[in-house]
Amino acid sequence: MQLRAGSQSVKILQDISFEVFTNQTVAIVGPSGSGKSTLLGLLAGLDRPTQGSIHIHQTDITTLSETEMAHFRRKHIGYVFQAFHLIPTLTALENVALPLELQGVTTGTLRAQTLLQSVGLEHRLHHYPVQLSGGEQQRVALARAFIVRPPLLLADEPTGNLDSSTGAMVIDLLWELHQQHGSTLVFVTHDMSLAARAQRILTLRDGAMVNELPPQLLSSGSEA
Amino acid sequence: MIPVSVKLAWREIHSAWSRFLFLFLCIALGVGAIVAVDLFAVNVAQVILGDTRALLGGDIELKWRRAISNKGHDVLASLPDRHIVLSHVTEIAAMATVNNPNNSQAPHPKITSQLVELKAIDSAYPLYGRLVAEPDLPAAQLLNPLQSNCSRSPCFGALVQESLLIRLNLTVGSELQIGQGNFLITAILRKEPDKIANGFRLGPRVMISQDALKATALIQTGSRIQERYRLSIPNSTSLEPLMGELRGRLSQEGARVTSFRDAQPRLRRFLDQLNLYLGLIGFTILLVGGIGVACTIQGFLTQKIPIIATLKTLGADSSQIIRLYLTQSLILGGIGSFFGVIVGVVLHQGLPLLLQGIIPETMPMNPTVAPILRGMVLGILATLAFSLWPLLAIRNVSPALVYRQSVNQSQTMANTQSRLKRWRTILQHWWNDRAQVVVSISIMVGVTGLAMWQAHSLTLGLFFSGACAVAILLLIGGTEVLYSILRHVPIPQRYLLRHAVRNLQRPGNFTKAMTLAIGIGVMLMTTLTIVQRSLLDLIGNQIPSQAPSFFFIDIQPDQSPQFMDVLQQQFPGSPYKLVPVVRSRLTAINGQPINPEEHKGKRNGWYFTREYVLTTSRSLPEDNVLTEGQWWDYTQESDADGATRASSNFPMVSVEEDAAKNLGLTLGSTLTLDIQGVPLVAKVSSLRQVDWGSFSINFFMILQPGSFDGAPFTYIATTRVPTTLEVPLQQAIVAAMPNVTAIKVGDVLESIGRIFHQLALGIQALALLCLVTGAVVMIAAISINRYRRLHELAIVKALGASRRLLVFSLGVEFGVIGAFAGLVGLGLGCLLSWSLLYFFFDLTWTFDLFILSTGLLLTILLCLATGFLGTYRLLGFPPLSVLRQE
Repeated sequence: MQLRAGSQSVKILQDISFEVFTNQTVAIVGPSGSGKSTLLGLLAGLDRPTQGSIHIHQTDITTLSETEMAHFRRKHIGYVFQAFHLIPTLTALENVALPLELQGVTTGTLRAQTLLQSVGLEHRLHHYPVQLSGGEQQRVALARAFIVRPPLLLADEPTGNLDSSTGAMVIDLLWELHQQHGSTLVFVTHDMSLAARAQRILTLRDGAMVNELPPQLLSSGSEA
Repeated sequence: MIPVSVKLAWREIHSAWSRFLFLFLCIALGVGAIVAVDLFAVNVAQVILGDTRALLGGDIELKWRRAISNKGHDVLASLPDRHIVLSHVTEIAAMATVNNPNNSQAPHPKITSQLVELKAIDSAYPLYGRLVAEPDLPAAQLLNPLQSNCSRSPCFGALVQESLLIRLNLTVGSELQIGQGNFLITAILRKEPDKIANGFRLGPRVMISQDALKATALIQTGSRIQERYRLSIPNSTSLEPLMGELRGRLSQEGARVTSFRDAQPRLRRFLDQLNLYLGLIGFTILLVGGIGVACTIQGFLTQKIPIIATLKTLGADSSQIIRLYLTQSLILGGIGSFFGVIVGVVLHQGLPLLLQGIIPETMPMNPTVAPILRGMVLGILATLAFSLWPLLAIRNVSPALVYRQSVNQSQTMANTQSRLKRWRTILQHWWNDRAQVVVSISIMVGVTGLAMWQAHSLTLGLFFSGACAVAILLLIGGTEVLYSILRHVPIPQRYLLRHAVRNLQRPGNFTKAMTLAIGIGVMLMTTLTIVQRSLLDLIGNQIPSQAPSFFFIDIQPDQSPQFMDVLQQQFPGSPYKLVPVVRSRLTAINGQPINPEEHKGKRNGWYFTREYVLTTSRSLPEDNVLTEGQWWDYTQESDADGATRASSNFPMVSVEEDAAKNLGLTLGSTLTLDIQGVPLVAKVSSLRQVDWGSFSINFFMILQPGSFDGAPFTYIATTRVPTTLEVPLQQAIVAAMPNVTAIKVGDVLESIGRIFHQLALGIQALALLCLVTGAVVMIAAISINRYRRLHELAIVKALGASRRLLVFSLGVEFGVIGAFAGLVGLGLGCLLSWSLLYFFFDLTWTFDLFILSTGLLLTILLCLATGFLGTYRLLGFPPLSVLRQE
């Protein structure tokens, strides 16, 4: 993966190759600037690699057009950001229902309401993001990411903007939802204790994969 | 249930509606101008096309420009038997004299006579509509007052326009003498139902009865009268057959037969043209407003990039997001258009004030639905056209922006490539991007279509869009050149100056859009000012010093010695000219009869249908140049009348060359002229060039002396006296010969000038609105970068810059924008006014330093004022509160 800035280009990621299986939980760790977020962005099809390919559910997403990628993303991928990225002009309920509506499902509100209940925000349905605390905003973002029941959930430092106790609560929720929906979970974190909860840990340094912990892989299943 | 996307669109407007205020204004001003003009056009149509019976004064009008023949009277007398109601109106210009000249309170005691337009009515007047007088008493009562109220007997009542009272310092109850008749002013005339427009008037209206007109003894052979008979026909009689019958029966009697259906084609054409020009200026305002829309949308989208990126990560594709923001733009355009309709209705009510004297007094000014709907549609479509382009940029927003600041692609190009190559790359990108190609073409086609719709004409719409495109390209080109010069100017050392210059060059600051928006307004204003100045110069300042001060008309043949006596005894040495005239109509060319109906409404068709005033002259008049043929030669003969005529049977005529060209005359052609029912055949012996601007008496047709001996001719005289003697001269002539009408050249020119001024005022008001829209676009563009500016100002302030220095820096920035917009706008205005003057008005363009320098100064001032209006609140923010919000 290369990026151009002015006349210079910077290699952000190179020689990275790995497979993730259905239902696995994978943590990506590494120092700042090692390319973690970029890797996650590539998996979500938000960026395009300059070389190589990415297969999700037998689809090479690097060959998809922008529109095809958007359509693929809305069905298969949920994404949780460090900075929440809720739409400020929509209420919690509307934010959660939005991905369904983008798919053309107009009756998403009920499902959104159930999901918000399951993340403990039934009393915050009609609040706007500014009226919610950071933890609450991230719980809304979790509900939004899960509403399409995505087979693959990607989370970019989901607790990075939260204090530790709120962060722990959000992570518990993330795990709960992951287990409920049976989705594969790949997340980026700085927090080693959080990473330790994952089945696999990928470590990046200067754009390259250094090692993988723990080395033994237990689960079997189809290629994700 | 409302979809979340619509909710999102609405909420975003709702949460930031103040920043859309300028978008609303941009659209509202354009839509307002168009709606106002359209409403006005509908009113015009209502007057002209609707029930024009009141304007014509009847279902059918029979008009004579001379005394009616016996046969004509027979035809008229036969009509009442068929249940047709007749109303007889006679019009003539005459002199009114104050009966009691010792009015000591008069501010101008000298003025005791005034040229008036006399209108004699009968008891049936008006057949349609209502005559309004003050006091509002029955006309019969006002026109026949009690003899005991008058100082002289017999006396008649007169309804007069207020301007006459003001001019002669009279009141209701004062007395006037007109011709031989005595009149008591019984009321002020407020509304004449059959008055079309008081466009050009020789003098104020005075309305009297037919009996009173007889008493004035004004109607003499050859007098310039207009006899009108209006007919009100019963429902059982159909219009067209009756028209045909009357035309047939009166064809030899010199009568014009018109029905209310074909009334006022000239007024209609004039008002149509006026509406067209006003409408196109309105459309230009909408286009200028469109620049504001594009800037606002683009600025808004720049702020919304994180949200757009988020939506993309949630799986929204570009077309979904474009639709979302397009919905938003259309809601905004709809709201703006709604405000525009309100603006339009208010403006519409104000238009009559601006166009006073040009439009009919009785014109209804009620708003109608169609123009309002049309304005809404135009506003929304313009919003669509101007927001689609910036919205396409949504496709380039990468979802990766949610976690990384992306590098701007076009900026990368700017840094790495030469300008030419950069343009080529941009064009190549454009061409490869099909959506962009489709959108660009749709916008161009759309705007052209809207222009066609506005102009109600395919060619004119196409021409207008073409001209717009050329003007915009030139404006953009000019702006580019100026800003590239600025780029090569060494960067000033002083920080604040440097800051100002840098601000002008920063990408995404809309400087060029602002310059363009203001520049278009300046261009329009400059063009109008220069054209108006040139035309007014032509009317006012360029009157030759030899121009006469008076025209005297209707001098009877036996009065000509008396006229010369008065002139020579009381005003010795005044140069004068006295020529015989007779009025005629052209009935045949080379023996082929002319059918006036064929030429009606055609370009230059009036050459066939107009009335020709004929004269005879021994010698070629001064200022006339013979272009073809020969002037008749009388030098050899002592009494040559008829001498040359002997060589052919017809008298000879010399024709003005343009008239000859349009009538298809060559040397040797014969003309048949109808002089009060008597045909006169004349042979074209020469063609002349006439300088119509010389203000002396000039004629299309000059006959050989003696040609109309025995015909009912009168004399016209011109004379020139010093301004101080003008009033005494008028009094003296009128006292000696009450039937002679004195027309003061100065008054006529003033009247023409006034109409023109009024017209210019209406057009200029809209052009000014265009400039105001440009200023709104500028504020809109400034407010888009409001936050960034606030942040910068806070930092500079925190570092110790004083408010005065900041104001100076902003002043430089806005001053440069003003200067550039002014230069480009003035330049193009000069070009446009030159082409208008050269191609349409046949006038020379003169460099007017005063207009241009004032224009530049005013533009700079406008930009400074607008700029500070857009930023003054930012200057007041305490820096800490701004920086803390970071």
